[in-house]
Amino acid sequence: MVIATETFRPLVLAQAKARKLEPHLIVVKHPVGGLNAEELKERIDAAFEGLKVEMKG
Amino acid sequence: MSDSAETEYLDIPEMDHDGWADYVEAQGWTDGLPLVPPTEASVARMMDGARGDNEPFPAITPRLLIPTLRSLAANAVMAGCRPSYFPAVLAALRGVLVADYNLHGTLATTHSCAPMAMVNGPLRQELNINCGTNCFGQGWRANAAIGRALQLILLNIGGGKPAVMDRSTFGSPAKYTFCFGENEEESPFEPYHVRNGFRADESVVTVMSAEPNHNLNDHGSTTGLGLLTTFAGGIATPTANTISAKGPYFIVLGPEHAATLARDNWTVKKIQDFLYDKARVPLAWISKENQARYEEAGHFPENDAFRVAPTPDDIHVAVAGGPGKHSAWIPSFGGTAAISIRVKPPAA
Amino acid sequence: MRIVNPTYGIAPQGEGSATAGPVDWMNDPIVLFSNNKPNAKELLLGVRDRLSSIRRVDNVDYIAKGSASQPAPPEMLNEVVRKYRIALLALGD
Repeated sequence: MVIATETFRPLVLAQAKARKLEPHLIVVKHPVGGLNAEELKERIDAAFEGLKVEMKG
Repeated sequence: MSDSAETEYLDIPEMDHDGWADYVEAQGWTDGLPLVPPTEASVARMMDGARGDNEPFPAITPRLLIPTLRSLAANAVMAGCRPSYFPAVLAALRGVLVADYNLHGTLATTHSCAPMAMVNGPLRQELNINCGTNCFGQGWRANAAIGRALQLILLNIGGGKPAVMDRSTFGSPAKYTFCFGENEEESPFEPYHVRNGFRADESVVTVMSAEPNHNLNDHGSTTGLGLLTTFAGGIATPTANTISAKGPYFIVLGPEHAATLARDNWTVKKIQDFLYDKARVPLAWISKENQARYEEAGHFPENDAFRVAPTPDDIHVAVAGGPGKHSAWIPSFGGTAAISIRVKPPAA
Repeated sequence: MRIVNPTYGIAPQGEGSATAGPVDWMNDPIVLFSNNKPNAKELLLGVRDRLSSIRRVDNVDYIAKGSASQPAPPEMLNEVVRKYRIALLALGD
């Protein structure tokens, strides 16, 4: 399972396609780098919500 | 770009120059400039330039397809290569496919790196590769087409499509082409390839994932020590990937600077040692957050400054360019290596 | 006109598609795999904190590949495959 920002979604999909994989992808807003703790909290929450969806299948 | 790679030949409608330019743009095959049509005949002539080169290539990331000599030749044709250039293109490709070059990382990164290719040996003169005035610039077909062919191969067979796989924040003009020759004739030092174990009569392509050249202007210094002091200051920047001291960089000496250094008994080894020691970025220029990152990655400051090369041997010294009091610093992507590959001459 | 396809290449032999088997999300060990980019560690550890509200996390481990610009060493990947059923990767940025 991959957590990627929306900006990098095409990269993940292109790489997965070349490897004949169907990635489980959790997309969060871009960017992640350079955020302070408060800003990063939103990304963590989004990633966790995405993970819960994946866990439910 | 079509993901269907199963067909080696394509039958397409007859079209004029403008139609062809539109067609290749729609296919995603181009770097933005017009391409030469890779007809069967022109590709066959290109392949003849690499006659006898039967060494297979590994799959090219990220598409992970193994190229054929024919598909490689098609890209060389499109780039405007003469058949005589093709062995140099193939050597450059073999170089970027060496694992330590880290092609995948260099294609997918947000950094602005491009594959630099430096040519040594007799092929420079045989192909009229510019090693002198304006050697990083425009005006020479061999420099333009060899570097361009490598990039087209990485795009079309490798799949390094800009804004999809190639995630560079800015890219750089070097992504169109970045090929030059060492100015061996005006260098006071042994040629780069000879210092790295090749014979002087062999032709060699050295590749590194690099930023474009950064100018090192020094009109004032009259000694080798003065020049190197200036160079060390120019190299000591917190904003190039070299700050992580994870990879190589090139220092390309202009012939006038090289002559001054040689006159003052600076050898290549002494230049490497000096720059390794003196090119350091003071802690005061680096944010606390970045200091913590570098230290977490095992890169620690010494005497309140970070070195920018892992070892003196990671500082690659060459001579190129023409008259003028300029040299060039070419920082690398960081997680890459300088790889030298002998060019295979076509079989007789 | 007939041209040579400049995108042509041959798929390496033996490259099959990979599929993951069923996993037990509540109990299987999970690796949080960082690409070493800034905030990747904080993001992944933040997810682990929240995971603790819904599953055990004593078998949810964090590792980083070592360099943001270079691939993870094969031995590290082999270890991950051997020890974990689920990997959560931070990629890009």
